Amino acid sequence: MSTGGWISMILSVGFVTVLFVYCVGRVLFGPQPDADE
Amino acid sequence: MPAIKEAFSSRLGVILAVAGSAVGLGNFLRFPGLAAQYGGGAFMIAYFVSLLVLGIPIGWAEWTIGRKGGLAGFHSSPGIFHVIVHHRLGKYLGLLGFIIPVVVYMYYVYIEAWCLGYALNAAAGTFSQPGVNYGDFFASFTGAGANGASLHFGLQDVGIFVIIVYALNFFFIYRGLSKGIEFVCKWGIPILIVIALVILGRVLTLGTPDPTKPDQNVLNALGYMWNPQDIATGLKNPQLWLAAAGQIFFSLSVGFGAVITYASYLRKKDDVVLSGLTAASANEFCEVGLGGLITVPAAFVFLGAAGIAGQGTFSLGFNVLPYVFSKMPLGDFFATIFYLLLFIAAITSSLSMLQPGIAFFEEGLGLKRKSAMGLLAGLTGLGTLLVWWFSKDLKALDTMDFWIGTVGIFIQGMILVMVYSWYIGIEAAWAETHEGAAMRIPLFYKFILKYISPAFLLIVFVMFIAANVFGWNFALGAAAEFKPTSYVTDLVGPNPSGVARGTFLFCLSVIILVGCLIKIAGKNWARASGETKL
Repeated sequence: MSTGGWISMILSVGFVTVLFVYCVGRVLFGPQPDADE
Repeated sequence: MPAIKEAFSSRLGVILAVAGSAVGLGNFLRFPGLAAQYGGGAFMIAYFVSLLVLGIPIGWAEWTIGRKGGLAGFHSSPGIFHVIVHHRLGKYLGLLGFIIPVVVYMYYVYIEAWCLGYALNAAAGTFSQPGVNYGDFFASFTGAGANGASLHFGLQDVGIFVIIVYALNFFFIYRGLSKGIEFVCKWGIPILIVIALVILGRVLTLGTPDPTKPDQNVLNALGYMWNPQDIATGLKNPQLWLAAAGQIFFSLSVGFGAVITYASYLRKKDDVVLSGLTAASANEFCEVGLGGLITVPAAFVFLGAAGIAGQGTFSLGFNVLPYVFSKMPLGDFFATIFYLLLFIAAITSSLSMLQPGIAFFEEGLGLKRKSAMGLLAGLTGLGTLLVWWFSKDLKALDTMDFWIGTVGIFIQGMILVMVYSWYIGIEAAWAETHEGAAMRIPLFYKFILKYISPAFLLIVFVMFIAANVFGWNFALGAAAEFKPTSYVTDLVGPNPSGVARGTFLFCLSVIILVGCLIKIAGKNWARASGETKL
């Protein structure tokens, strides 16, 4: 695999993985919505 | 007004339901093939641009419109547009939001049955038998070889699996949103990710399985998938942009009719921004992070580039991969869990296709859930029988998929973003989106949602029609050529396909029927709200 291939793969896979982990973390451990309404 | 009868039990539940709707066969079979075909670098740039300006923002618009309609007591696409668009024809803007999931379900459930059938056949050792011809098995199992050929009910026929899959879908739908759809997605999505990680571990440790072909190793396989070709040239290729934008659009299920219905069960202060982003990111993780590292690299190490090039989604998934697994140590086990993974991805999607129909029959026609399910089972069963019987070359399936599952989604996506940004108005819609939001959307997305997303979507749609209907060769000026594709010549021309024509007429009939039902529903809603004039 070329250097460009590594960069392309790491950036792509890294971006979606970090975004996914960040979002799930915010949903699970962030402020929860009010129970009223 | 119809009263809210159901709800998801938690925020994570609705997110997983939407993610389950989005994660499907395309994540593991279609995306890797496209990325490899167009060269990792340029394709991924176009892919992520499309994600950021098309997929995620239109997804937010759909979540917002769904929640807004739900707060007014409507959960079906026609009902939601009826209450949001104050015009007597407004409800018809939601027609495709009903048609698309219902018609797509008709053939999607058939493919779902393949996945379950392949999983059980892999477990039974069918694919590791000496001398098995995978192409013949696929043609026989799916009926792609001849019409009516798959209407049999043995282990190596799709019949029994179609019935099992139908029963499972309607069983979970009968259990309702929380105990049915949410239950399946809460278990299904984590299991799917774990299975994918196990298979990923296997693929990445394959090394060089055939020492006589040292080039066919894992690193070269990843290189085949991710090595950027000439990025500048690639980005000038309109076909690449069309492929990337189309993949994002279909993969995220934007404009499909499922997200709008799911979001309609949210409460006023429930977040849609983080939830929409989380569902999209879950889909992207499964697609790029898992799908992008499994199927094509696995096929490459056993077949090389020549064995993969030009393979379509079905061919890669149900023809090439059984062979690939058969060559792997513990191949039956990995084939079983791979097709189980595809089955889970498919059933979480197919469940999302039924809820919009159920919701419409309940709130538009006043049916009880059991009656709504019966009507929907009859309608979708008719379409599935059509696809099942007229299976030669998968013509009926392909016709439905193109005209409803592809063209229809573009149109509904355009309706969604136009209603959000221009009918409700970007300022009011923006405020509505941020009601109860767990995070703020960057301000520049106002501009994107108002101008860029609709324009980008329109350009992609026009290019799509030009290429896939009129057969444009993507050249301009004197070099431009148009040669109508089989989607047109199958319907009109010297050698039309009777199956394609019949399927197209069936789809038209469904559209007309649903149009009439929406008219009846509109009268019911007007009567319920005391309106005197439609």
